[in-house]
Amino acid sequence: MPDEPFDTLDKETVEKEDGRYIVFYTFDDDSETDDQPEDDS
Amino acid sequence: MSELRWNPVLREWVAYATHRQNRTFLPPAEYCPLCPTKPGGFPTEVPRESYGIAVFENRFPSFTPDAPEPDAPDDPFQKVAAGRGVCEVVLYSSEHGSTLAGMTERHIGNLTRVWADRYRELAARDDVSYVYIFENKGEAVGVTLHHPHGQVYGYPFVPPVPKREIDGAREYLANNGSPLHADLLASEQRDGRRVVVAGEHFTAFVPFFARYPYEVHLYANRAVPNIAAFSEDEVRDFARTMKRLLSGYDALFGFSLPYIMAMHQSPTDGKNYDGLAHFHVEFYPPNRTENKLKYLAGSEAGAGAFIMDAAPEETAGRLRAAIESASGMGERR
Repeated sequence: MPDEPFDTLDKETVEKEDGRYIVFYTFDDDSETDDQPEDDS
Repeated sequence: MSELRWNPVLREWVAYATHRQNRTFLPPAEYCPLCPTKPGGFPTEVPRESYGIAVFENRFPSFTPDAPEPDAPDDPFQKVAAGRGVCEVVLYSSEHGSTLAGMTERHIGNLTRVWADRYRELAARDDVSYVYIFENKGEAVGVTLHHPHGQVYGYPFVPPVPKREIDGAREYLANNGSPLHADLLASEQRDGRRVVVAGEHFTAFVPFFARYPYEVHLYANRAVPNIAAFSEDEVRDFARTMKRLLSGYDALFGFSLPYIMAMHQSPTDGKNYDGLAHFHVEFYPPNRTENKLKYLAGSEAGAGAFIMDAAPEETAGRLRAAIESASGMGERR
């Protein structure tokens, strides 16, 4: 991704039921993830 | 129990977190606790139906912010401290079967920005002296969950290996007037035989003194102290270099190669590490061949002296060929 601008990074912190936090990071384009999902074995 | 005990002989802390004995161990994929929670499904660690990248507090932490002050025995050989710190899990993707090597450069770049954000956030805490970003991949290195993830430990002390690096860099600087890591990198680049990826801003090489056959150190070409100090171009090139290296690892023997990934960077204990800390990542794959592992046995575990049965110049050549082969198969962006 030589000269492409960065996706906007958004961050949301949520408290879980047991009090621990989880931070969700989202980007402009979250449609892409992986090239080649692999078997779990 | 969550406490630190001091080893006065080796001069290092050992963390005791006995609750970790009960942590989830290799569940079937349909009960993965790191996948999103599906409607009507069992509640996982992620209370949403989808996510891009997520970070949460480890349910079975080695250190916790509220660890109680332990009873201190009246014995100088039984020095203890509270196991205070932070342990986070970084979920690289909601795709259960993926790996870092299989992700796009763009996604690895986004993950790099998440790692940088975690570094900044934990570095700001008074109870964290060192932010350690790492990944254990594969059952051969003790992984208990296959979902693609790494971890971040916020240690309440500077751990022994980074401390030895900093101490070595301090002594080298005093004796030579120049930074150790930059000079070491320049030496590897001049020699060239062990370099496996030469990027614009990062260089990956099997070090002259590798302790594992396919150990790789990935250095920032600039003396950048930590991941939060990367420029945008460095983030891009870091993602590109990581993608090339990890794809090569997987092409090496034709299967997804297990490894330990360790990021070394500047401590966060408030002291000055100018000229001493130089961001780099160290990879330790346990495989010495396709079906043989290197174990830490008598000499390594008991004496701390690694014995190698493969020359770094040879293994670097094989890994370089695998990287070129993987790149030839088409690298997606």
